[in-house]
Amino acid sequence: MADFETTTPNSPKSFEDADRIRKAGFSVNGVWEQYGSHAVTVLNLVCFFILWELFARSGYINKVFFPTASGMFTTLWEGLTRSAPPDAIISGQIIDHLLYTLRTLSVGVTLAIVIGVPAGLLMGGNRYVEKILSPYVWGMASLPRIALVPLFILFMGFTVKMQITIVTLSALFPIIINAWAGVKTTEKSLIAAARVFGASRINIYAYVVLPYTLPFIIAGIQQGIGRGMVAVIIAEIFGGSNGLGFLITRSADTFNSELMYAVLLLLVIISLSFIKITKLIEVYVAPWRQQAVM
Amino acid sequence: MNFTTGANSVPDTNKVPASLEPQPMIVAKNLTVGYKLHRERKLLTALRDITLTVNRGEFVCLLGPSGCGKTTFINAISGIVLPWEGTIEVDGKPVAGPGPDRAMVFQDYALMPWRTVESNVRMPFEFQNLGLSKQQIDERVEWYLDLVDLKGFEKSYPYELSGGMRQRVGIARALVTEPKILLADEPFAAIDAMTREAMQSELERFVAKTAQTVVFITHSIDEAITLGDRIVVISRRPGRIKDILDVKLPRPRFDKDVKSLPEYAELRERIWNLVKDEALSGAHGEE
Repeated sequence: MADFETTTPNSPKSFEDADRIRKAGFSVNGVWEQYGSHAVTVLNLVCFFILWELFARSGYINKVFFPTASGMFTTLWEGLTRSAPPDAIISGQIIDHLLYTLRTLSVGVTLAIVIGVPAGLLMGGNRYVEKILSPYVWGMASLPRIALVPLFILFMGFTVKMQITIVTLSALFPIIINAWAGVKTTEKSLIAAARVFGASRINIYAYVVLPYTLPFIIAGIQQGIGRGMVAVIIAEIFGGSNGLGFLITRSADTFNSELMYAVLLLLVIISLSFIKITKLIEVYVAPWRQQAVM
Repeated sequence: MNFTTGANSVPDTNKVPASLEPQPMIVAKNLTVGYKLHRERKLLTALRDITLTVNRGEFVCLLGPSGCGKTTFINAISGIVLPWEGTIEVDGKPVAGPGPDRAMVFQDYALMPWRTVESNVRMPFEFQNLGLSKQQIDERVEWYLDLVDLKGFEKSYPYELSGGMRQRVGIARALVTEPKILLADEPFAAIDAMTREAMQSELERFVAKTAQTVVFITHSIDEAITLGDRIVVISRRPGRIKDILDVKLPRPRFDKDVKSLPEYAELRERIWNLVKDEALSGAHGEE
């Protein structure tokens, strides 16, 4: 990297100047500042997969457990583009199972949002609703939802309905609890200010409590998606013949390690994208709450 | 006596010459107020038996140790807390709730973080109808933002501003409805010492320009003397009035160096003697 002591024609003379140079992007320093950390990440990952490839090729571990990185990527690519040769045991391509899982997940999480956000807001806003609902909310929130899977299989069989129910129940409680906490922790001085300036009860909810709670709701949805993801995979592992969870069990059963690792990698990518997207939404709707970017 | 209502009454106050008989603006009689402690299920008396009259156009400073009920007193004036015993009247009418004739500046600014500077200043008009057209409101907001030197920051968010600038937004928001009474709850306590002096002088300028009646809470003796026409010293909780002192220093006090005047030192010592015991017991953590 460049020496900070030396002054070149392009070196910034003020913060505004630094900003201008960065935006103009004509200095090596500026480009480095903007894309440097991404470049490091890419380099890091490339090294990781090369080491993986070399390690797998050395034959140190049985290929049945540990495929080559290239094999995994090939399987993933072929599965996503429907160009994989048809498998006698596992029907369908990765893309079909991926879409199936995403559909279950999104329906389940949407239901959880539709139920959970109003429920949480009501609990925060009304003492009686809070008193009545809170034991059930805490009870359900602390119960490992996986323990309910056999029960719902009993009720609904190995159906999409069962999977959606489990996803909804998993995502629901973080959403309720966050919305509830948001209402409860609304800063008292903001409410006092609104009251002094003539806000009615409804005004206070609409103009103070709701905007204050919005980032909490988004954090809740973020957690809800995470929990829903776990739930959908578990529900699919338990039973059914579709989805990424099913693909994992079936690939294990058929000793298809390339497929299994491809699905695991896909899960990592999906989860990270969800986190990234919700982070962006969070920054967009509540720029005043910006915390250290991870 | 006074038939003007709402926003149009302010120009009248501007015309009141100082030589006229003082007109009572806020009248508290045997006021006792407190609040409920929900967790401990008990009532806490914050202020006991306060009798005080604040005149139109007067700048009154309430001085006392923290937790002495000063905030409860201005909350009672603003109407967000109602009296337990006694009465409190603003402009001849008992306080029944918040109204556009009173506005407040808060210690922690209490700006809506999701609103821009301009939107924060505009907020009071969204909650109460003062019979102004949209254009009139726009003009008001612009004028008061200009008064507090925030031109050019209309589209900024509070988190992008310094503490002093945030409080100037708070002051503009309080003044924008042109209330009869400006309540201030330790507005400069969270601002660094150097900015605080500048803010005090600016507040004196705003108040001179708008002829507000001001009730200003502080725990700083110097702040009380440099700003107030009268200083009300309040004791520890439950707060009672210990003494009321007139401040006869020339205005504007920030142009002249009032702190070097012998009257200043004299007054300061008198107040210090009044609050000394409480300050010391506070420092030793006694109740």
